[in-house]
Amino acid sequence: MSVTVEAPMPGKILEIKVKAGDTVKEDDELAVLEAMKMENLIYAPAGGTVKEIKVEAGQNVVTGQVLLTIE
Amino acid sequence: MDNLTFGITVLVVGMGGTIITLWVMSLIMRLLTRIFPHKEGEDGN
Amino acid sequence: MVDAIVNGLSGLAAGSLHLHWTNPVMIAIGCGLLYLGIKKGFEPLLLVPIGFGCILVNIPLADVMGEGGFLRTIYDAGVITELFPLLIFIGIGAMTDFSPLLQNPATFLLGAAGQFGIFLTLGLALLLGFSQLDAVAVGIIGACDGPTAIYVSSQYAPHLLGAVSVAAYSYMSLVPVFQPPIMKFLTTQKEKNIIMTNKGIKPVSKTARILFPLVMTICGGLIAPMGLPLIGTIMLGNLMRESGVVSRLTKASENEIANVVTLFLGLSVGATMAGDAFLNPKTLLILALGFVAICLDTVCGVLFGKLMCLLSGGKVNPLIGAAGISAFPMAARVVQREGQKYNKKNYLLMHAMGANAGGQIGSVMAAAVMLSVLKGMGII
Repeated sequence: MSVTVEAPMPGKILEIKVKAGDTVKEDDELAVLEAMKMENLIYAPAGGTVKEIKVEAGQNVVTGQVLLTIE
Repeated sequence: MDNLTFGITVLVVGMGGTIITLWVMSLIMRLLTRIFPHKEGEDGN
Repeated sequence: MVDAIVNGLSGLAAGSLHLHWTNPVMIAIGCGLLYLGIKKGFEPLLLVPIGFGCILVNIPLADVMGEGGFLRTIYDAGVITELFPLLIFIGIGAMTDFSPLLQNPATFLLGAAGQFGIFLTLGLALLLGFSQLDAVAVGIIGACDGPTAIYVSSQYAPHLLGAVSVAAYSYMSLVPVFQPPIMKFLTTQKEKNIIMTNKGIKPVSKTARILFPLVMTICGGLIAPMGLPLIGTIMLGNLMRESGVVSRLTKASENEIANVVTLFLGLSVGATMAGDAFLNPKTLLILALGFVAICLDTVCGVLFGKLMCLLSGGKVNPLIGAAGISAFPMAARVVQREGQKYNKKNYLLMHAMGANAGGQIGSVMAAAVMLSVLKGMGII
């Protein structure tokens, strides 16, 4: 079962804290999104293995844009 | 004017005036954002 | 010859000999403000000049606030004339992005609710024996906005300017400390966990963003003309920003003008803190009431958020109500952090920013409405 992690608001990805293949639990820190001059942590909505990371640090994202997928 | 009259008047008219003014502003802005919607590719958002 | 030498030496000793007990106390208070600003990072841009101005005015015989004194000159030029807070407001308007507010106009109302502390504290101050105009100056601390508090108190209760300004700026820095417990206490577990998404929030067109400051100025000015200087200056700054065609003026307003005026304003406010004016029980009461005002703002904001939650069928998280105060963008960040503390999947930041921008507008309108009501009543 694939779970997508989407950007909750528009901003810039500052850091991706995981890589493909990592095992994560629900509520683990996945990435740091800078929005409205504030650093926001993106947490895992569910546990699993990180399948694919679709964005990179420094990239601007919009609300709903897929950041990574977890299986 | 005695303090009680002063206090109650400022409280009621002041709070009421603030909320009504801002409510009117919100209605006007809701109307304007509908009349002038964001166009795809518009600069400066 | 000996007389001349003695007189010369007495000129050097006079300062220390003329020390009144209030002077070292106020110098210590000035140093305390410097400590808060420099070491603790409490609004240093204001507290450092205020603290230093306080020290300067409490050194005897220097007469910096006397006729012709340099602080008196600055004070008369910009505080009595209301120019300084208004010039800072142009800068604030130029720095603020109101699009989160425009994307969700319902947050205007949270910005209104976040100002109720002003009026409630005014009533409390009256009950505690303050005169009507003094109570107005104490209540305006609840606007949680430095220039607004300075604008009102310098016109209608200038003897309270020092206490009101110190309270306003100090408490703004404490927002991350006292808001979370109030937010926790007033919301249920279910309410804390309400997730608000940003899907469906559309960007705002440039036309709407340009019309906003015009609408606010004209409508706000018509309803509350006594506050037009406040409304007009913040909206001028915002119009310059959104128009995009006067970036030199916008940059100057945000940077050079705001910085120079902040320095002069801080010094002037500090210069009003002479010991005999500041050191009395009333000052402590003002500091306490100022704290109460901002707490009441948070309470009213969160309670209004709960009302919006109820009316929206549970879609609005009441926590965002705490961002309806004018401490921008600090209160919005507090709401984002608290919301995520209760539910890691909750990103309230955009909604909280809307409420916070609403609070900025709300504080200006509340002050404008209050002054216009007072004018109508013949009090001012």
